[in-house]
This record gives sequence, C-alpha cells and structure tokens, in this order.
Amino acid sequence: MKSSISQIKDSLRDKKISVEELYDEFLIKAKSSKTNSFNLLLDKENNILSIKESQKRYENGNPLPLDGIPLGIKDLFCTKGIRTTASSKILSNFTPNYESFVTQKLLDDGSIFIGKNNCDEFAMGSSNETSFFGPVKNPWKNKNVPTDDLVPGGSSGGSAAAVAEGTCVASMGTDTGGSIRQPASLCGIVGLKPTFGSCSRWGIVAFASSLDQAGPLTNSVEDAALILNSINKHDFNDSTSSNHVREDYFIGINDKLDQKIKIGIPSDYLKDVSGDILSQIENTKKALIKHNVEFVDVEFKTTEYALSTYYILAPAEASSNLARYDGIRYGVREDGKSLDDIYLNSRTKGFGDEVTRRILIGAYVLSAGYYDAYYRQAQKVRRLIKDDFQRIFNDVDFILTPTTPNEAFKMGDKLDPISMYKNDIYTVPTSLAGLPGISIPSGLSTNGLPLGIQFIGNYFEEKKLLQIAALAEKELNFNEQ
Amino acid sequence: MSDIDIKRISYLAKLKLPHEKEEFYANSLKDIIKWVDNLKMIDTSETEPLHNVTEKTVSIRKDEINKSNSVDDVLSNAPERAQNFFKVPKVVE
Repeated sequence: MKSSISQIKDSLRDKKISVEELYDEFLIKAKSSKTNSFNLLLDKENNILSIKESQKRYENGNPLPLDGIPLGIKDLFCTKGIRTTASSKILSNFTPNYESFVTQKLLDDGSIFIGKNNCDEFAMGSSNETSFFGPVKNPWKNKNVPTDDLVPGGSSGGSAAAVAEGTCVASMGTDTGGSIRQPASLCGIVGLKPTFGSCSRWGIVAFASSLDQAGPLTNSVEDAALILNSINKHDFNDSTSSNHVREDYFIGINDKLDQKIKIGIPSDYLKDVSGDILSQIENTKKALIKHNVEFVDVEFKTTEYALSTYYILAPAEASSNLARYDGIRYGVREDGKSLDDIYLNSRTKGFGDEVTRRILIGAYVLSAGYYDAYYRQAQKVRRLIKDDFQRIFNDVDFILTPTTPNEAFKMGDKLDPISMYKNDIYTVPTSLAGLPGISIPSGLSTNGLPLGIQFIGNYFEEKKLLQIAALAEKELNFNEQ
Repeated sequence: MSDIDIKRISYLAKLKLPHEKEEFYANSLKDIIKWVDNLKMIDTSETEPLHNVTEKTVSIRKDEINKSNSVDDVLSNAPERAQNFFKVPKVVE
C-alpha cells in the first residue's frame, strides 16, 4: 500500500528519508515508466532550491502543510518558466511567465512539482487518447486479456495513471464534465471535483469556463482533503471565485458521524448497468448502513437531457475560449501570405481532430439562426437540471452513484465520439449543476479492474462530503483487496 | 434539423478543413446535433437561462495598481516580434 502524505511527512520529520531522496525516488520511477503519463519531467537541478529549503524547514521543525511532497501537475495549469502545452500542438512551445493561482498555492505550501502530466488535448476527451504527445496507458491490466493496453480515462488521464503507478504522490487535475472523477475511477484512485467557484480558474488553460474546476487526484480521501486545504481559496482574478469562508477539510475527517445521514441513490442511473457496477453500489450500502446511514431511492427527471445539454454548452464555450489561438501572440504559428492565412493555417494545423470537432459544434450552436434553439435552450435546461438536484437535496444529505458506466476499456476501442461522450453520463449532471463530487475506488470488476463510486454533496459542503467518503473508503478497504 | 453547411461553420471557426476531411466532420457534426436534438422536446417557456451555477455576486477588488505582465513578458512567447510589437504580414496596402 502506498504511503499517505501524512505518513511521508512523518518519515521526513523523523529523518527516515530526506526531501532530496524522496524526490529522487519518484523521479527515477517516473523516468522508467512506460505509461506516458508525463509530458515533461523536471530534473532535480530544476528544483534543487525548493528541495533544500524544504529540507531546512523539516530540520527547523516547522514544515509547511505539503512540504517536500512531489506532485504531478496536469499540463493545463500554467507554471512559471515550465512549458505548458494543454497536450496540444498549438501550445507545444509555450512557456508561461506566470503561475496559476492553484499551483502557486501548492508551491506556497511547500510541495515540489515533479512534472507536467499528460492529458487529453485542451482537456477534451474521456480516454486520454486525444493528446498531441500520444495516449496514456492505464497501469492496470485486464486479468483475462493481460496483453491489452487500456485507457486511463480522461481528460486527467496522465494525472490518474501517475498517481496509480506511484510516480507522484498526488496530482492536480481539472474537471469539466468528469475529467477528474472518471480517470480516478478507471485507475483505482480518489478524485475530487470541488463545487464550481471553490478553486480559482486563473492560469488554467480554459476549456468551458462555466464548468471548469481544479481538484486533486490522490491515493486517499485524507490526501485529497490536505490538498483541498491548500487550493480552496478566494481569488480576485477569477470573477466566479466564491468568497465564502473555507473550513479545514483535514481536521476531523475521520470523526464519527454525529447525526443520521440520508443518502439518495438515483434509480434512473442504475437502469441497464452491469452486475459489476451494481455490486459497487450494493457493497457501499452494506458497508455504510451500520454507521447510522439511511439509503433512499431518488429519481431525477432530467438525466436523459444532461449529456445533450453538456455537449452543447461545453463546445460553445470552448469554441469561444479557443478563438485566442491564432498564431500571433503565442503558440505555434504556421506561415501564410496574409494575416488571415496565418490564422487559418495555425489553427487548422495546430488543433487535433477532437478539438476541431468541438470547436465546430460550438460554432454551429452559437451561429445565427441556431443560437436560441441550441445554446439558449441548453442554458435553460441547465437550470432545470440544477433545480432537479436541489429538489433531491431537500430530502437527502448526499447522492451516491457509480462514477462510470464501465471499467477501463481497450485503447482505440471507442472511435465513435458519441459512445465516448456517454462515458461521462454519471459525472456530467453534477458538473452542470456545479455541485461537488468525489470518486473513490470501491472494488474490482470480474476482469480484475478497479471500479469507483461517486458521492455528490450540496454546494460548498466539501467538509461533509470528504467525511462520508473517508468512512466509505475505510469500510470498503479497496487498497487492501 | 436542416443540413449542416460545413464550409460556413468552419469559416466561422477560422478553420480551413482539408477537402478530404470535410465530409468526415460534416457527418460527425450531423450525428452529434441529431443526438442533442432531444432538448427541443422540453418546455422551457417559463425557465430563465442559467449562466453561473452558484449565482453569487461578483467580488470587486480594491482599485490598486499591481505590476504584472511587462511588455517583455507578454512578448516573450510571440512567434515574431519587432521592437515592442507583435509582427504580422502587412494588412493595409
């Protein structure tokens, strides 16, 4: 079993290992990994100052909350002086001269970045197969077909694979429609998407600004809470950043539930799911019922419209956000005789197939004559989806669902975009409502592959959400299986 | 649903699709638009569009100058620059 952040900090404090040795250990493993989970690894020389300062703080007895912890960072976060590509050709030469809000907070708390994790191009994908730098392999194998390479999920697939294979202690990902929770589930780790507006989007390469949210991919719920403590802060540079008072998410995470908890299970989510998936929900119920938890059936009225709403709104926002890539101010420029030719050539050659497809969908649904029928209608349905969740949260504390409709699948298996989009059926509704969701590993499929469950909480109730997830994690005991 | 004019859409998106890929994208777009068409069945005449899920008021910072993004910083990633400007082909004859 892998060590938690607290355990690693104890070892550093007790001088069982130095910060430098810890970094070396992870870097050597990352360099020899064959999963392609990093677009870039940082040699020790790049981080030597931070390593030494961190060591000094341990020696002086005042380490910071994440001191010396080697983290992976999805290649969607701008990192000062470190190449940031969004796994796209068009940004393949881009080195930001500023640090994203979230990664700055992680640095301020002493963590050390080991590299930039591969992801789907501009975070558009559910299998990490759309990256310009090649697909990421899931470290897990199907025990019945061990020769197959499996996808890690996406878009934070490199982050999930790296944490699962132990080439970083934890990784920062982003989630627009499931991009943290779905890969976490397919790789057997924990993934938390906080409430929209919790963690600043400043310095994150934008995909869909009304949905994008940063969050951690970790080995345990406790680690997720520690990282959330660092990154969940108000930021004036993000106009959607909420200025509510934040709690300490780590303290009391394992406290006994002091009141009766009611969890809703949406019956409409469980129609037509496989026995493997159903048993994850059943096992969780069995594990929690003895802890003063009551389960009730709930039914959404809007589930069948969630994916349609998402695949109008997200591409529409992406199409606008990606208008900035024009080959003039930064990124790769393709030559052309006129200014217009430069725009056209740079964009056409710079974007991959899936990104091109989504820009086209977005341009279509926003175009004159179609705007009201698609974009505006989707925004209205989004309100109905949010209201649907609010109706259910009037009666329950949490909602429990599977994270994904299936286990990790074979690379190249889902070529048709719609069948790929359906992977996010359980994560997209939460994203549209802006609610927090956490995926934790719950068990293995008959093929020996990890499966996950998702707890959804009410707005800004991450503290409670992490407590219930920690309890389920302890009871389900996935890491001991 | 009317037919999709892929040339017009790609023009709006400032993309020059290679001829052999036009049909691929046109079909893909057609499938997806057909798939999302189920939203039209919902009555939303009484529903307001939702732009920001948390619907919290925007917080406003104090109007103080903070130095960031120097000219050199901003231009450091430019494919081509001339003095303090981004360089592009001549636009006006």
